[in-house]
Amino acid sequence: MCVAFAGLVRKASLMLLVTMMFLVVAVEHGAAQGTAPPFPSQSGPENTLGDQSDSDIWRAIRQGGGGLPGSSEVTDGVLINADGVWWSQLRRPAGPLVRFGSIGIATVLAAIMVFFVARGRLRIDGGRSGRMVARFSLAQRVVHWVMAVVFLLLGFTGLLLLFGRAFLIPIVGKTAFSIIATASMQAHNLFGPIFIVSLVALFITFLRGNSPSFSDLKWVVRGGGMFGGHASSGRYNAGEKAWFWTATIAGIALSVSGLVLSFPDVLGTHDLLHRAELLHAIAALVFVGFGIGHIYLGTIGTEGAIDGMISGDVDENWARTHHDLWLDDMKATKGGAADGRD
Amino acid sequence: MGVIELLEGSLWTLSVCIFVVFGLWRIFVILTAGRSPTQARPVGSPRGGAVRAIFGHFLPRRAFLGQGRVWFVTIAGYAFHIGLFALLFFAAPHVAFLRDHILGFDWPALPRWGFIIAAQFAFTGLLALWVRRFVDPVVRLISRPDDHITTGLTFLVMLTGCMALGEQSVTLRGIHLGFVEAWLIYFPFSSLMHTFTWPLSRGFTGALAGRRGTRM
Amino acid sequence: MTAHTKPLPPKSFDQQGDVPDAVRVASAMEGFLSEFGPRASSYLNACVRCGLCAEACHFHLATGEAKYTPIHKIKPFEKAYGQLQGPFSWIKRAFGIAPTVSIAELREWEELIFDSCTLCGRCTMVCPMGIDIAELVKEARHGMFQAGLLPDRLAQIAGNAKTKHSPFGAPADFVEAIQAIEAEFSIRLPLDKPKADLLLTLAPGDLDEHHQSVVGLARILDSLGIDWTLSSVAFEATNFGYLSGDTQLQGELTCRLIDKAREIGAATILLPECGHAWGALRWEAARWYGAPIDDIRIMHTLELLAERIQAGDIRLRPVGESATFHDPCQQIRRGGLGWAPRVVLKTLGMELRELENTQETSFCCGGGGGVLANTRAAPLSLQAFEIKRKEVEATGAAHFVTSCGQCRLQFDRSRKETDWDKEVESLLELVAANMITD
Repeated sequence: MCVAFAGLVRKASLMLLVTMMFLVVAVEHGAAQGTAPPFPSQSGPENTLGDQSDSDIWRAIRQGGGGLPGSSEVTDGVLINADGVWWSQLRRPAGPLVRFGSIGIATVLAAIMVFFVARGRLRIDGGRSGRMVARFSLAQRVVHWVMAVVFLLLGFTGLLLLFGRAFLIPIVGKTAFSIIATASMQAHNLFGPIFIVSLVALFITFLRGNSPSFSDLKWVVRGGGMFGGHASSGRYNAGEKAWFWTATIAGIALSVSGLVLSFPDVLGTHDLLHRAELLHAIAALVFVGFGIGHIYLGTIGTEGAIDGMISGDVDENWARTHHDLWLDDMKATKGGAADGRD
Repeated sequence: MGVIELLEGSLWTLSVCIFVVFGLWRIFVILTAGRSPTQARPVGSPRGGAVRAIFGHFLPRRAFLGQGRVWFVTIAGYAFHIGLFALLFFAAPHVAFLRDHILGFDWPALPRWGFIIAAQFAFTGLLALWVRRFVDPVVRLISRPDDHITTGLTFLVMLTGCMALGEQSVTLRGIHLGFVEAWLIYFPFSSLMHTFTWPLSRGFTGALAGRRGTRM
Repeated sequence: MTAHTKPLPPKSFDQQGDVPDAVRVASAMEGFLSEFGPRASSYLNACVRCGLCAEACHFHLATGEAKYTPIHKIKPFEKAYGQLQGPFSWIKRAFGIAPTVSIAELREWEELIFDSCTLCGRCTMVCPMGIDIAELVKEARHGMFQAGLLPDRLAQIAGNAKTKHSPFGAPADFVEAIQAIEAEFSIRLPLDKPKADLLLTLAPGDLDEHHQSVVGLARILDSLGIDWTLSSVAFEATNFGYLSGDTQLQGELTCRLIDKAREIGAATILLPECGHAWGALRWEAARWYGAPIDDIRIMHTLELLAERIQAGDIRLRPVGESATFHDPCQQIRRGGLGWAPRVVLKTLGMELRELENTQETSFCCGGGGGVLANTRAAPLSLQAFEIKRKEVEATGAAHFVTSCGQCRLQFDRSRKETDWDKEVESLLELVAANMITD
């Protein structure tokens, strides 16, 4: 209904609008705000000032007075959210979220590069044996890779949305970035629900073997064998378990906050949306940072690791190097046969 | 805006022509290949058998329901195909495009939430099936380069389409249209042709089964 | 699954004749497409490589090996199509991107085309496109035969069929075998009657091991008062041209039976309890004559039994007890006779306990499509037998019955290997043994 007044004289229409909103709030809250009289039935656009001055109105709005804004999907009745200033500061292109976020991701990348240069590929002790042990089921592999693709798509588009204003606009300009940004947003929103489904599937298919145990401590103390020496481990080592639970918790945070952000008109208030976006960004940075480490260790970082996620089978010596307790377990429980699939 | 005019104009016409001409040519070559042997005296109706097979093979037989992969392929396959069908023919921009450029009439389009849900199904199904091509030893062995190209192209068509969902950017629409045209041009030469060959294949088997008084 | 090593590339193959490799490849390419038509063309243009056919194949299910995926077994055949006949083969050839087939590939595929496919057609049942892969494998065998790339044992048997008249032997051997059966069972088997209403054909298995089947058939035919005969020149029901990919031999063997029947004025050719004989004669004879065989009824023993029981001409003593029935692929799934054994078993008063996979989706015995004869494939087909064995045991039925001599031989061989004591019985012999004669 506000839109119907859009063609009127600028000031008059604004004042009428604000007055109407004020009225709505007054009726809704059931409490009289100041001495505002009921809307004078005989008044037209030329008599919209009523008994209040502009400053009273703006003050009221500024302090949380509500109404129905005409241009937002969020209908929590807040016209100007003074509480959102902190969020706006945090979220600026030069603000702490972008600054610390990018420093964090860069640190992860740098650490991996330093590790790769210093330690090189983690080799299989004794080289490949040629004997294969089944490790991941077909369901696990399919779920993992669906999640991997969704992760990459969401990660790229999400990082573009988070860092684009700060890092991309100076390079490609505002017009190009606006295109990239709308495309990213559409794709990001589209793949979000697929992420949630994948996350649930991932949790179910990988839960077994991921509960923490005492041997994890010993593995951590030995640095996971990543700095030399051997660290014993079961089906998953402490690092992998940490990844599993981090991904689960960060994933839940991303899912919940993402849902709120996807349906602002149904689920959100401005305050909630700000917090959701902040949580979404932080959880995503954790997820992406950990994910980069996971990708490195799963591919070029560790000889033979990718086999398990493609064919489902790993070399027996690989298993002995990285998951000796699991291998022993397989051999013992299956009477010499080794099939570690779930 | 030269590129977008090309994409909406002559390139569009060209790709549709290639799609139609070579698609028809392929069907023609299939149906005129070699020779058909003289058939035995029938026990049942070949035509009835063909119809039964054409519809019967939409769902797996009960005997195969104990197998996880049959479930997986069936569910993911349907999610993808139904989702894509809905997107292709009921997305509002597509309905408008078909009305303005080809058909001259339209029909009710999906609401936005319907589009989103259809896209979720289509993407999830396609991704799951594509991923399986890499990690399932059976499908990995039998997949041809063409199977990956068709899947990849279809994925890109869908992705660029969804990225253009804001309908605010000519560039995004152009990118989507460009991929659609590549897809149309590749279509008749690829296994995308199964869109049209499935009733032939099922029909021939069904006719054989009908003739012999069995169900295949 | 045990800790396994990566499978070595198979190096065992057989080949016949002495021709340069290039000639073999060229012959194969020509042979692959010799019987090609719109049907096979539709199939090759519809496959999307979903891999579900693997889920139906007993060889894949038994071994878990990806190479036994049915559609994979016809790869060289498919390539030949893509190179020579596909819709855009001329474009591909012009750009030099048409697929080619190497001799090494053909040798590698010999095992897949002959040893690991029984032409049972179960894969068609699960195929979303309804592709008849068994038909494609059969057409692929045409090329392999032309190239001289057959399992030796199959080549030898097909050679016997060509030179000696029958895999069993020459007409003289047949006459001798018939006389031996006559003597053993004190029965008269009419041979070479100049005129008869029905021409009975037999399979080598009947003459070698299943004498009871021959005797049973003779008694049933006699009790029905049918004017029948055997022929010393047209006695062979099996068709090793059909199984080996030798289309010329397939035609010769088919025409020999049809022509003989016409010569003696027989209105019916009766096929024994055999699977592929039904496919080759009943469903493919027409192609050699260019017209449907309308003057002669090609009848399967199963049909004879069921029809005459339904008509009341054959009366049976109820056996009672429970039975399970193995559906021979070529008779039931691909032959349309699924109704017949059920009529017979019901009349025998047997409680039929169906196998888990039955009728059109029944599992093959593991020996069809020439695999039984191809002895080098025995270890593989033995693995596939396990599926059937488990299904039979799960029914707990007292009798394990089937209506195909080849299936029985396959089961007997596998039974011996695995010390399984479940006797496999012939439906025909059950009928013969329980027939009420006045």
